[in-house]
Amino acid sequence: MKERSAGIVITKRIVSSFIVLFLLVSFIFILLRVSPGDPSQKFISPELSPELIKKISRSFNLDRPIIEQYISFIGNIFTGDFGISYNHRLPVLEVIIQYLPFTLLLAFLSFSLQLIFAITLNAAIYKRMNSYYDKLLSKLSITFFAVPTFVLGVLLIFLFSVQIDIFPSNGTRSIDFDSMNFVEKLWDYFIHLLLPLFTLSVGGASVFYKYLRDNIDEVYQKLFVVKLRSDGFTEKQIFWKHILPNSIMPLISVAGIELGFLLSGTLITEVIFGLPGMGRLTINSIFTRDYPLVVGCTFISGMLMIFSTLIADLIKIKIDKRLIKDLMN
Amino acid sequence: MKQKIKILHIAFFLFGLILFIRFDKFIDFLELLFQYFLFFVYDFSGALSFLNFPLIDAIISIKLFVIIPICLYVFRRSSLLNKPVSFSIFVTIVLIFVFIFAPLLAEWHPDFQKDVTVTKFLPPLSKVNIIYLSSGESKPLSREEKFLLARDKAITKSFDDNLLFADSLSYNSKVVKYFQDGFSKEISTEKVVIFDGIPKIEQTIFWLGTDEFGRDVLARIIYGTRISLLVGIGSVIISLILGLGLGFLSGYSGGFTDTVLSRLTEMFLSFPIIFLVVMIIALFGNSLLAVIIVLGFSGWMSLFKIVKSEVASVKKKDFFLSARLIGLSGLRLLLRELLPVMTAPVLVNLVFQFGYVILAESTLSFLGLGTGTEYPSWGAMIQAGQQHITKAWWMIIFPGSVLIAALISANNIGRSLIKQINSR
Repeated sequence: MKERSAGIVITKRIVSSFIVLFLLVSFIFILLRVSPGDPSQKFISPELSPELIKKISRSFNLDRPIIEQYISFIGNIFTGDFGISYNHRLPVLEVIIQYLPFTLLLAFLSFSLQLIFAITLNAAIYKRMNSYYDKLLSKLSITFFAVPTFVLGVLLIFLFSVQIDIFPSNGTRSIDFDSMNFVEKLWDYFIHLLLPLFTLSVGGASVFYKYLRDNIDEVYQKLFVVKLRSDGFTEKQIFWKHILPNSIMPLISVAGIELGFLLSGTLITEVIFGLPGMGRLTINSIFTRDYPLVVGCTFISGMLMIFSTLIADLIKIKIDKRLIKDLMN
Repeated sequence: MKQKIKILHIAFFLFGLILFIRFDKFIDFLELLFQYFLFFVYDFSGALSFLNFPLIDAIISIKLFVIIPICLYVFRRSSLLNKPVSFSIFVTIVLIFVFIFAPLLAEWHPDFQKDVTVTKFLPPLSKVNIIYLSSGESKPLSREEKFLLARDKAITKSFDDNLLFADSLSYNSKVVKYFQDGFSKEISTEKVVIFDGIPKIEQTIFWLGTDEFGRDVLARIIYGTRISLLVGIGSVIISLILGLGLGFLSGYSGGFTDTVLSRLTEMFLSFPIIFLVVMIIALFGNSLLAVIIVLGFSGWMSLFKIVKSEVASVKKKDFFLSARLIGLSGLRLLLRELLPVMTAPVLVNLVFQFGYVILAESTLSFLGLGTGTEYPSWGAMIQAGQQHITKAWWMIIFPGSVLIAALISANNIGRSLIKQINSR
């Protein structure tokens, strides 16, 4: 009985994710049709002859009723056919696949960095709850959370690339990259990614830190901690084995939301540091009026975000079965 | 008892400060107001034809500059004005002052450019010589000319032919010799305004430096504050109307409407908002109005949830039932019965939303998708600063710190509001 209800909840959650995805596509379609100008104008040069425009318009099925256009649009998108990017002269999906891994790598590294940072800081601070350092760190975390990604990035470039000149400000590799050996190449990547990663991670890390700190504080008040202490467990054992697992639970739902922020963060970070990722691709495609690529990027990013929240929810259900009841209602 | 600095004190201090620093300007503005009033009485339709945004703006700001201190004095006992001041509240008050009194505060028009070779990339606190050229006109006679003279004196323009910026200069009775970017130039004294027998030459200070086009960074920050707050207020109002209306509809009627609206909200919450915002602005073109509307429409979901749950809890209470049985209409129920109950949570949400909108606007401007090039914006200034990062640090540091201060204060005020509500 219990297992079956869990199954139903999970399928419901997955189905609702797909519905959101479907709505996203519909929304993009509506936007494309409502925005000023015919879609054919966006997809071809205005200097072409009227006959040719008519021909292309027919080849895009623009003379058909709008419902039919909608169905073919959805069909095309779900089969991965976004059209051909004019700047890259390649199918949109191929272009995106070139740029996507970098963004995913950056997001993944930053996400792990945020978690590691938050947990280590908390491990260092848990013995000194409500001390001077604790209060200072809490204030700092709130402050850093309010600092916008792009201001932080530009300030870091100014400090470390212009004033002190120890980190490169742009790109992922140096000019003499090809002549390096493997270790030097790795080091080169590392030194190029350090500033972007830091820029991307500070906001999220401060959220995680504050959240985790408050949770740990709450868990410490519980009676089982007193019981464990009286049983003779050391503080270290109590923290790592009992307090941390108990307080990390609510963090997961925050992490799901945080992943969404992370995607928009990578967009800005990539633009600032000139990194070859999805975000910069999106912005460049907007400025060059490359509409197929804009639609493709929006869809792929939306899909990533929707699925990351889905996975966060599934992990939550996996860890704590009680949540199924909440999700049922 | 320890005396604390209150909001009232800060407000009066700022008024005094503005009066002290910009006394000349204050007098110019008063004269403008007076001349315009005379002109208005004398020639009604002629006065109306000169009415444009900078003039209205100037008149409103000078009137408020006189009215607000009086209001503050009258309401000096109110509890809001007697709150102790923290850093965030101080920043907020300063921003509000800058928002209202921008024409009084800014020495230059935000787009003022002249003699770019001299004025570009000036570091903060640098001094530049200004030579005033005479426009060759005799004394004004008619009311219209008097008004125009007062207007040109008070309201800053984006271009002024009668000013010359120079690095260094020397003059004798015949010519004024000046240097611009290493080139020596001459101008005869007949063309220069003569004051007490010597050419009228002043030194002006660019407090926060100038940007790549020789525009004053301070003036741009001041007008950028206006844009940021304007976008914030506009979007928050749109979010408020949407969130209140839909939330009330959903909580009050329940049933099918509720289900549909709740599902819709969940969909919107799981959308990647930033990508949609970027895409919408890319498709529809970027303008001030587009940014306000898009950001307003992207922020109503959290408010919807709050309003819905509050309405659902109030719906069964006695006072609400009796108000409903008396026969109040839906809108009246919302405004008279519900709004007072849920002021606190809605207010907190609006404060956070305000901070979010300011952040979003500056981020969009940074990416080049914001309010466009016709208005100065903090984000766009930082973006311009990044291109000249090696030679002009002031183009990043100042707008950046103003933005950070504004965001931190919005955040802190929201959090302290939550604390107050919870402690009740």
